[in-house]
Amino acid sequence: MRITLITELSQPTRYVPQLTMVVIQLALTWWLWRALYAGVRVSAGLNVTQATTYALLGVLYLQFKSVDRWSNGDSMVQLMFEGTIAYWFTRPVSPRRWYLIRMCGDLAYGGAWALAAYGACWAAGVVAGPPSRAAGGAALLTLALGLVITYYLQLIVDLMCFWSTVNDSAVVAVQFASSLLSGAFAPLWFFPGWFQRADAFLPFESTLNTPLSLYVGRLPVSALGAQLAVQVAWCVGLALFTWWLWRRAAARVTVLGG
Amino acid sequence: MRAAVARQVRGFLREWRVALRITRVNFRARIEYRGDFLTALAMGLAWQTSVLVFATVLLTRFPGLGGWTSGGVLLIVAIRLLSHGAWVLIFNPLMMIPYIVQQGALDGYLIRPMPVYRQVLLYAFPLNALGDSFSALLLFAFAVTRVHLHWTPLTVLYLIAAVIGGMFLEAAIQTAVSILAFRHTIPLAIYMWFDRMIATFGNYPFSIFPLAARAVLTYVLPVAFVAYLPAAVLMGRAGTTGVPAGLAYASPAVGLVLYILARYAWYRALRRYESVGG
Amino acid sequence: MSAGTIVAEGLTKVFHTVARRPGLGGALKDLVRPERVPKVAVDQVSIRVDQGELLALLGPNGAGKSTTIKMLCGILTPTSGRVEVNGVVPHADRIANARQIGAVFGQRSQLWRDLTGRQSLEVLRDMYGLRDADYRERIREFNRILELEEFWDQRARQLSLGQRVRCDLAAALLHDPPVVFLDEPTIGMDVVVKEQVREFLRDQVRRRGRTVLLTTHDMTEVAKLAERVALIDHGALAYDGKTAGLRDLAGVTWEANVTVETVPALVDIPGLRLTRAEGTRLTFAPVPGAEAGDLTPRHAVRRLIEHLPVTDIRVEEPDLEDVVRQAFRAGR
Repeated sequence: MRITLITELSQPTRYVPQLTMVVIQLALTWWLWRALYAGVRVSAGLNVTQATTYALLGVLYLQFKSVDRWSNGDSMVQLMFEGTIAYWFTRPVSPRRWYLIRMCGDLAYGGAWALAAYGACWAAGVVAGPPSRAAGGAALLTLALGLVITYYLQLIVDLMCFWSTVNDSAVVAVQFASSLLSGAFAPLWFFPGWFQRADAFLPFESTLNTPLSLYVGRLPVSALGAQLAVQVAWCVGLALFTWWLWRRAAARVTVLGG
Repeated sequence: MRAAVARQVRGFLREWRVALRITRVNFRARIEYRGDFLTALAMGLAWQTSVLVFATVLLTRFPGLGGWTSGGVLLIVAIRLLSHGAWVLIFNPLMMIPYIVQQGALDGYLIRPMPVYRQVLLYAFPLNALGDSFSALLLFAFAVTRVHLHWTPLTVLYLIAAVIGGMFLEAAIQTAVSILAFRHTIPLAIYMWFDRMIATFGNYPFSIFPLAARAVLTYVLPVAFVAYLPAAVLMGRAGTTGVPAGLAYASPAVGLVLYILARYAWYRALRRYESVGG
Repeated sequence: MSAGTIVAEGLTKVFHTVARRPGLGGALKDLVRPERVPKVAVDQVSIRVDQGELLALLGPNGAGKSTTIKMLCGILTPTSGRVEVNGVVPHADRIANARQIGAVFGQRSQLWRDLTGRQSLEVLRDMYGLRDADYRERIREFNRILELEEFWDQRARQLSLGQRVRCDLAAALLHDPPVVFLDEPTIGMDVVVKEQVREFLRDQVRRRGRTVLLTTHDMTEVAKLAERVALIDHGALAYDGKTAGLRDLAGVTWEANVTVETVPALVDIPGLRLTRAEGTRLTFAPVPGAEAGDLTPRHAVRRLIEHLPVTDIRVEEPDLEDVVRQAFRAGR
């Protein structure tokens, strides 16, 4: 975790542009949703405040979700490619734990920024609070579980590199899926019925849409039980799957080149 | 005199032929990774389709977008998608520049008898371009049926110019971004952010935005010139855009000019390149 | 100026790095007012390589060899100084320069990762505009010496280091450039392939008259390949002349460590002098001077065995560190 912090903070070129980008994107998103709602009061069960809050929080989620390891040559695929991944298996910490620690560091770093941004938005009055304390608590709980699911999904994609070194498209696929299908791109409630129904079968919806919907009050707190059940099911399923994948991966540490 | 011109032309054609041959080799190499190839195609298609879905959803749920008809909004989206598809087809490898620099491959580019920028563009074949372009064409066909425009040769030419201009504008932005890569490791996210900004906010008629937003989207992030302004011109609403009508008409040229400037700046920055390792 | 000449005068390259101050306070200061620290990587280096010559640029890691060669290739623009390769200024006239030089960087490849070796060569053929006949003939020649066909249908990312560098060599010489730059080409290779590469280079210089500039930190490489060597350390040129002269200048030579059964009272072996004696372990070095100067280690071993009751013998090449240190001292 320390490595992430030092790497990120030591290069202003990393976070200064990111800060600017986030601010601009937040501003534009806010303007957009206000403008769209100029003619309507409620749409798809969301009023203007709810939709705006949802959209803004979605922007924050996307922006701070991941630290960029790719340009540093540190992403799993690149490590695989260069062969440095072999070191993971010789360190005293098991590769699984190492990955977990890395990910936690990344998420914690991103989370800290997100929290700061959230605070700023709150102070500026552009983001509304939850309708009740219970709703807020429900949102936090589902968010935590959602992060766990995100971690597993990212892990699966990264583990794929043990089987195929060309997984650019898979990476893009998951990015697309996780940004669109989770609601970060736009609130899922606006999409046609068939889209939402199809999305319900995938884990992405529960990573972001669930917490945000609870937060803005689109989903009543009473729905918490059902949502939690879905999330836990996904967590367990993905945990088993990735555990199995790690075992297979360790057996396949093939390094490229001579 | 004529011989000199002929030589120039021949040289120019030869360079194009070389570029095409390299593209073909790249394409073949990419196709061999079949799984990756199919996924990339599917992803391109899926992404653009979702954008389409969302656009139509917006139109149905939020009527009266600043006085624009749904056909008009579809036209904006279509132009944007077409120019983005063209951009991905040609300029996508710009996003690989941080990686190329980090690998030290740029050194090799500097000692080959081809302009470095072109070598970067020939780095790999952009598979997702196929999916992007296909869905763009689909949407455009759909938009044309919905928007009631009188298509004359002049308007068709303007449309083509707008698409090309939009492509150059996006290329200008990403070229400028890649200048940073020469001296710092820049995250891929920066490219993607610009991409997303144009993709997200370039679809709407700007008349729905307050003045501040419009200013940002015209003069800070020149998204307006990509699709909105040309579409406004085509729909005969050049006067209502909040931007001087002349500027609106000249949108394609804006893209081209910015691109030339960006590319010039890129080469200047290349000269001060300090390679990695040693 | 005859074709294939490299001329560099007063080449200097200064890098500016941002100083990283320690601690959190330092990090904040770095953010607000970064302190730029100049680092002189190459300092007033002047080199001249004539047509058909092979010059080895020798120096320890971080000495500035790679920076120098990158300036000569045109990859880096010198902070000051003049460089001309075959009459062309590399960093100014990049494309014209590209046609007359070939380069191999030992630590990174110029081949396209996802293409096979052969495909990469074909792409380069197109890029340089070579005629089919020329291309085929050159490929045949390279294949003969470098044995490329064993692996040129494999993707570049799957090649071993030795295979990859061999392919890179072919790629660099495909367009028949009069000038060739090599940056640590045999680093990390096994002995067999190293010798293969060196044989290839020797052939290219002798038969084809190419001008070659080679950087290395391997003393053996210099000894086996170059008649002329330039020594560079901390960005400055310490020596530029014949390889044999470097040894003389440094006063450091190879040594023979001999273990004997019994130490004779008087040790007098022609051409060798005793430099150290520890019990039954004796160390001999060749006597410097015109007559004994050409005593090879092999002959020395024979002489030692003839003259002494040897139970164990070992010849050690001079340590590069010693040579460099001595050379600097001598040069001062």
